[in-house]
Amino acid sequence: MLRKPLLYTLLGVASLITVVPLLYMLSLSLQTEAETLSAEAVLVPESPQWGNYAELFVRAPFGDFIVNSLVVAGAITLAHLVFDPLVGYVFAKFRFPLRNTLFVALLATLMVPFFVRMIPLYVLMANLGWLNTYQGLITPFLMDAFGIFLMRQFIQPIPDDLISAARIDGASELRVYWSVILPQTRPALAVLGLFTFVFQWNEFLWPLVATSTPEMRTIPVGLTLFNQEYFTLWHLTAAGSVILFVPTAVLFVLTQRYFVRGIALTGLK
Amino acid sequence: MRPRTLSGRYARTAYLFLLPAILFFAAFFYLPIGNVVATSFRTGPMADQWTGLGNYAQAVADPAVRHSFLVTAGFSVMVVAGSIVLGLALALAIDQPLRGRVVFRVVLLVPYLTSVAIVGLLWRNILDPELGVLNRVLMAAGLPTQQWLNTAPLLTIAAVTLWQSVGYTMVLFLAGLQGIPETYHEAAKIDGADAWRRFWRITLPLLAPTTLFVSVMAVISGLQAFGQAYIITGGGPGDATDLSVFHIFNVAFRTRDFGYSSAQSVLLLIVIVAFTVIQLRAGRRGEVTY
Repeated sequence: MLRKPLLYTLLGVASLITVVPLLYMLSLSLQTEAETLSAEAVLVPESPQWGNYAELFVRAPFGDFIVNSLVVAGAITLAHLVFDPLVGYVFAKFRFPLRNTLFVALLATLMVPFFVRMIPLYVLMANLGWLNTYQGLITPFLMDAFGIFLMRQFIQPIPDDLISAARIDGASELRVYWSVILPQTRPALAVLGLFTFVFQWNEFLWPLVATSTPEMRTIPVGLTLFNQEYFTLWHLTAAGSVILFVPTAVLFVLTQRYFVRGIALTGLK
Repeated sequence: MRPRTLSGRYARTAYLFLLPAILFFAAFFYLPIGNVVATSFRTGPMADQWTGLGNYAQAVADPAVRHSFLVTAGFSVMVVAGSIVLGLALALAIDQPLRGRVVFRVVLLVPYLTSVAIVGLLWRNILDPELGVLNRVLMAAGLPTQQWLNTAPLLTIAAVTLWQSVGYTMVLFLAGLQGIPETYHEAAKIDGADAWRRFWRITLPLLAPTTLFVSVMAVISGLQAFGQAYIITGGGPGDATDLSVFHIFNVAFRTRDFGYSSAQSVLLLIVIVAFTVIQLRAGRRGEVTY
């Protein structure tokens, strides 16, 4: 439609606007404190201060933040991989009373933004004594309707005959699920696992609300509190951001085809 | 007891498999939704006094609440408009047979994978009036510096939000574009329609479902933005970026007024659901079949 040079210019400028701030974050993480405060803009640090990354662990319980993020995002991802396909399978392949009602009730939860649940969940967790604990961070996110819906869409085209054949061969229902259905869903499970992990790794609001001590914070929350509680040192904040950013960026670059397909799938179907 | 029929047996299996999900959604979706509504009718430090519609009446009359709704609406409009215009422009560009399209796509999607914590802190640093790298670069270049977060705070945080999300919108539009049969364009070309005409008469109408979906998603996420205000502006300057969820968060966790904050949550939820329904209705009427 448009001339190619114009298209390249548009995409090139957009890419630069995307990449330059992220590169600046990397640069900032390697600057000295003086460089971050100097009147002249420092784009490339004089000599890279790799020690900034070590200092994070000295100045704040950054090791705890990392462990917490891994435990919380990991456990939630695992729970999604266990429950979402199972529930998706039931809605794809079983006929039972209230099936449509339950399915509509499930999809209705997609209309409920997290902030609506935030206050009652906080009160619930306070009553259970689960504030500032792993179970408090994890349990509200064990499954979600998106994942279940994605798995249902994926399982539906699997021929019913496969299931019947396994049943006739005497396989138990759990065995049918485990040996016949689950192996076929691997690509969808990959998408589900990636999405769940990345979003939980980055989650901000609930860990902010549900944790109160530094030792229980996840990286995103710990980072923003760096700016208030511990110190307002931009080079360290940037170093922490890089640590938060790199795992998802690497994961994404390795699997970007799945990601793009996942967005198209969950977004449009 | 052994069920008599085969389908009875499978129904039992279905419920057995569903049990964890039923318990989970009951405890962590339906119970909280019931509780937020119940709490919205209560007042007092323990939210234990019945006040009926008192919180709602107070919220509707409260200038701070009204202001936060207006701010949120303005923010959402900017995010929706930007998502559609920029997302579509980028998708149209990247849909062409260009070298390195995959690289462009990957690069443009990367911010979508970053936490709002990173985006917020990074841009707070970049935009800082004194220490921000943007102003220091402008100064070095002899250009006038800008105080973006003071002169146009809402527009600025909307732009930062777009910086993060436009790659996602682009991918959605790209999927929509690829769903348009090539033959339509070829037929129009034979009929002598130029590229501009083909875009307005074919691409855009056939893209309507995608555009609708993108706008619904952008409205929903715009109306519940939080981190931008919490991290970048702290709601300021003054109350210029006091986004609704940030306002609710402060009422709930700073002033501990759970009844009042719950009522505001319910009001915002009603707005979101209403918008979604209106958009989907409008979309159904204008839907193009092909």
